[in-house]
Amino acid sequence: MVESGGCSAKISPKQLEEILKYLPLPKDPNILVDIDTHDDAGVYKVNDDLALVLTTDFFPPVCSDPYEFGQIAAANSISDVYAMGGDPVLALNIMMFQAAKLPMEAYAEILKGGFDKATEAGVRIIGGHTLDDYPPKYGLAVVGYIHPGKIITNAGVIPGDSLILTKPIGTGVILAGHRLGMVSDDNLAEAKRLMKLLNKTGAEVMKRYNIRGATDITGFGLAGHTLKMAKASKVSLIINMKEVPLIGNSYQLIDDGCIPGASFRNLDYAEKDIDFASDLDYNLKMIAFDAQTSGGLLFSAPSDKVNKIVEDLRSAGLSDSKVIGYATEPKEKCIYLNN
Amino acid sequence: MRIVDTKGHLCPAPLIAAKKALKETAGGESFILLTDNQTSFDNLGRFLKDNKADFQVSESESIWTLTITKTIGEVALTNPEDYCAPSISHFEKGNYVVVISSDKMGEGDEELGHLLMANFIKALKDLDELPSKMVFYNNGVKLVTTSSPVIEHLKDLEKMGVEVLLCATCVNHYSLASSVGAGTVSNMFTIAEAMASAGNIVKP
Repeated sequence: MVESGGCSAKISPKQLEEILKYLPLPKDPNILVDIDTHDDAGVYKVNDDLALVLTTDFFPPVCSDPYEFGQIAAANSISDVYAMGGDPVLALNIMMFQAAKLPMEAYAEILKGGFDKATEAGVRIIGGHTLDDYPPKYGLAVVGYIHPGKIITNAGVIPGDSLILTKPIGTGVILAGHRLGMVSDDNLAEAKRLMKLLNKTGAEVMKRYNIRGATDITGFGLAGHTLKMAKASKVSLIINMKEVPLIGNSYQLIDDGCIPGASFRNLDYAEKDIDFASDLDYNLKMIAFDAQTSGGLLFSAPSDKVNKIVEDLRSAGLSDSKVIGYATEPKEKCIYLNN
Repeated sequence: MRIVDTKGHLCPAPLIAAKKALKETAGGESFILLTDNQTSFDNLGRFLKDNKADFQVSESESIWTLTITKTIGEVALTNPEDYCAPSISHFEKGNYVVVISSDKMGEGDEELGHLLMANFIKALKDLDELPSKMVFYNNGVKLVTTSSPVIEHLKDLEKMGVEVLLCATCVNHYSLASSVGAGTVSNMFTIAEAMASAGNIVKP
């Protein structure tokens, strides 16, 4: 099957911001979260005890196995609900597939991968829509439940909080390197395992500790999503890149020049708001902009609780969870990238 | 000269080829890299700049030819004093670019022309809004040498956040590569882009 970059297939964040400027935002007191803060999903209040979380995401294949692609795309689509602290409930399939060019078995396998991953998340897929198009693209439109008073947004970070990342980064670099024959089977398998891993466990830990500020790391890269979070929360965020866990040989790949085009797009969008430490390792700088497919959660937590939280995340199976930085009062730049 | 042909390859393949060739090239030596993809070319430009490699570009029929020179260590490029000098921040920058194509200002007496140009560059520092960029080409690049009477002013402007771009072809034509005292030696694409995206061009 044809492969490409997963979330790196996103439109450039710079262009997106330009377009969204011209789109009027609907006014309705029941809209609790909209695109104004560039959050992960929209939230609509139904009554005082229930709000709906709505999100969608779809992209071209990231791997040659259609079943695995279906799993990864579904995990990625559902992730936004987890990042808001919601419980995903229902979904619709979104598919583009050219039957004349590709075997129908692949179509069925993608849907089966999506179905199995959705089932693991407790999500029922109750319909969908397919277009005849090449290359194939797949994802879900997902609805989740949330209590209106318990929404976790990217605007909830408080100065003094520590930042915890639940999955290592580097899927964009690994996938690009794999296409050029630079990645071992082990490293590719690890990247796929992480992309298939639901952010469900991470979200459960967040809820247990009443976390208020979170996002998930996807197409705009660690730095891009951190920036959206800093802007929405009106804080500055300090990221220590040497603390950020990386997948397999992704550092070495960047050092060899394997920097996907999406990283430059993300850099272009975010760099004006970022202070790069003068001694920042170039490879660590570029991996901060690597587009992630189905990346982990990034959330803020009070410093006195972080050790306990990281311990809980690790014992729940998110063994690479780590504190990668902290929040301060707003300074000159939104983000400070250090070694 | 060694030629690395990345035509027909998309990112990150051209970057990988560039990095590999850079590793295999001795300091001060050059190689040629070919690409036929606009995005790859743009990304290569940023990548080479961040990797402290100098390059010149020519384009014909949608094929970019980059002549890439590996710089000798970092010592040759940087002056330790520049790092010690405190940078001057918080200056307002306007949406205009100053283009300097001559080392003289206006037509007439040569000596007067030099003096006026020096005064002009000095006066820029006092404007309420600094230029976002300054572009130097042809005789203009002579103002950016270490022995230029305005070099200190240009260094100040750089510290105030003004991007100073020098035309690489011109620097080479006048054999000034070893005496450039400020700014970034840049290609015509970057210069054209800077001028095309400027709100106003100011040409003394």
